[in-house]
Amino acid sequence: MEAVQAKPTLRDEGAKLGFRLTLPAQILVLFIAVFPLLMQLYISLTDWSPLSGTGWWNAWSMWNNFANYTDLAVDARFWSALKRTAIVMIVCVPVEFLLGLALATLFADEFPGKRIFYSILLMPMMVVPAVAGYMFFMLFQSGGPVNDILSSISSFPVTIAWLSDPTLALIAVMVADIWQWTPLMFLILLAGLVGVPEDQIKAATLLGANSWQRFVTIVLPKMKTIIIIALAIRVIENFKIFDTLYIMTGGGPGVATETISVYIYKLTTQDLIWGYVAAIALAILIVLSIAAVFAMKRMARAREVPA
Amino acid sequence: MSAIHLQHLVKKFGDFTALKTMDLAIADGEFMALLGPSGCGKSTTMNMIAGMEEPTGGKILFGERDMAGVPMGRRGVGFVFQNYAIFTHMTVRQNLAYGPKMRGAAKPEIDRRVGAIAEMLQLTSLLGRKADRLSVNILQRVAIGRSAIMEPAIFLLDEPLSNVDAAFRAIMRTELKQLQRQFRQTMVYVTHDQLEAMTMADRIAVMDHGVLQQVGSPLEVYNNPANVFVARFIGAPGMNLLRGRPAESDRGLVIDLGPLGVTPPLPAAITAAVRSAQGDVLYGFRPEQATLVEGGQGLSLPVTFVERIGARTIVHLGQGETAVKAVFDNDVGLAIGQTAVVAPAVQSVRVFDAATGLALRAG
Repeated sequence: MEAVQAKPTLRDEGAKLGFRLTLPAQILVLFIAVFPLLMQLYISLTDWSPLSGTGWWNAWSMWNNFANYTDLAVDARFWSALKRTAIVMIVCVPVEFLLGLALATLFADEFPGKRIFYSILLMPMMVVPAVAGYMFFMLFQSGGPVNDILSSISSFPVTIAWLSDPTLALIAVMVADIWQWTPLMFLILLAGLVGVPEDQIKAATLLGANSWQRFVTIVLPKMKTIIIIALAIRVIENFKIFDTLYIMTGGGPGVATETISVYIYKLTTQDLIWGYVAAIALAILIVLSIAAVFAMKRMARAREVPA
Repeated sequence: MSAIHLQHLVKKFGDFTALKTMDLAIADGEFMALLGPSGCGKSTTMNMIAGMEEPTGGKILFGERDMAGVPMGRRGVGFVFQNYAIFTHMTVRQNLAYGPKMRGAAKPEIDRRVGAIAEMLQLTSLLGRKADRLSVNILQRVAIGRSAIMEPAIFLLDEPLSNVDAAFRAIMRTELKQLQRQFRQTMVYVTHDQLEAMTMADRIAVMDHGVLQQVGSPLEVYNNPANVFVARFIGAPGMNLLRGRPAESDRGLVIDLGPLGVTPPLPAAITAAVRSAQGDVLYGFRPEQATLVEGGQGLSLPVTFVERIGARTIVHLGQGETAVKAVFDNDVGLAIGQTAVVAPAVQSVRVFDAATGLALRAG
């Protein structure tokens, strides 16, 4: 067609060939990642449900003019679930972080029995969350070990109905999450802590910094990147808190421990309004993506100053 | 006040003895180099002076003060690490200000001191720069400045030039020496590089296997090595040592080197000591002190290798027990396989007891 065509360079050729060779894989990835998202977006704009009696591809006939999104904006149960999820995160992640950091600091030094304690400490992380849920479900029964311990400490019988009280149930759920995920925090932070150059710590000591000053001026700044990674992982994971919690309380009593995931689960399996579920899921995805971008930006900025 | 005395200093790591009874006095304002191969105990000695390691035995005195139990932050010691240990997440200014800030100095006071030290080390224009992308010679100056701002009476430097290429090393040697003259502090410098020790130090303490071998000025250590280790270690290449027996001749005391013949007469200063030696001795002379003689008296050996390194030519002669190196200022027309006759300058000859390795000399 074109009379004059620039002679393709070797580099262009290579790029073209590379594109062709990776095309199948790219299509697969596109299908896996993008297709469900588009499908979700499509369904979220309709009243479609598995009970509609028609395939999801026909959902356009149930187009509802963004009603799912307008409903979402005024769905008090959604907003309270979101608020509860945020409360759990605001309590759990900092507690896990501080405990993890304290443990990591402890484990950065040698002490007798370190390896045994190390293994014990990592165990919660390896417990299947559902199993952890059962463990804490039993621990927090009114005749369970937690109350037994409290009884023996206070020397009069304690029979707190942990999982039936709205506030206490939420606390119990948070305790379980902290128990299970502090080890992950500990592991990541220990890796960061070990990576802090020992010479710089010695140099700071020789210049007269005490251990707290060393921690604040050398150790923490050097761990910045890894701290952001650890926090980002736990914030995202904690936002999706489900298995342990659902087995312990089922979101109850009432909706007292209902988080976003539990709410979505109930809407999906009990109310079967999938168009609405898709709208919620999409809204949350957007929120989490924004949080992730923010975290990554912070990380990039922290990395400009490599340890 | 800032002299350092090491008294019967011992350091053991489990069964391993890193330092066997070291006694060393470093004078106030002196530049002392601790020189030795890896694992000789020099860094261990330095770390004990700094307080990073506790001695297993013996004492460290700063002036009159016993340092036992004094934590490293309170010894008033400046320490420059091998890799400088610059706080890379801070600016040059923050690095320099770190010490005074940690000790709670007031802001104007800190600014004044940072300004002064930056001026002295020509770092003023770099104060705002992040410390993670600076060149090595600047890092070195920051490291020195960061310690110097505390005005320590003692400065310890742990192989600060070992990460630097050869050309830079020459520049930094000069720079360091000038800095020491400016600061007038007692400096202890650990190195395995004899060139650094020879060029910068007032005195050198040569160490090997946890034992102090010899302490002396660079030329003293070079000219009068106390034992075979020092003779071989100092100098590049080290001293030639040939096994032989003392023998009387009509020209005076000589060494019978067996198949290599008889040496020229020994210098008068050492004849008495050599004469009283029992058994074999080692006849030593510096490669730089050998001259080629044509048909005259000397060691007649086959040339095995010739290294021409521009300014100097190193000729390898003989093999095994009779290996000798000779260094000449100019190229010499020798080729592998030829036989050369070299004669050591008589006054430079040193003789060692073959059994104990100690130098045989008067007194």
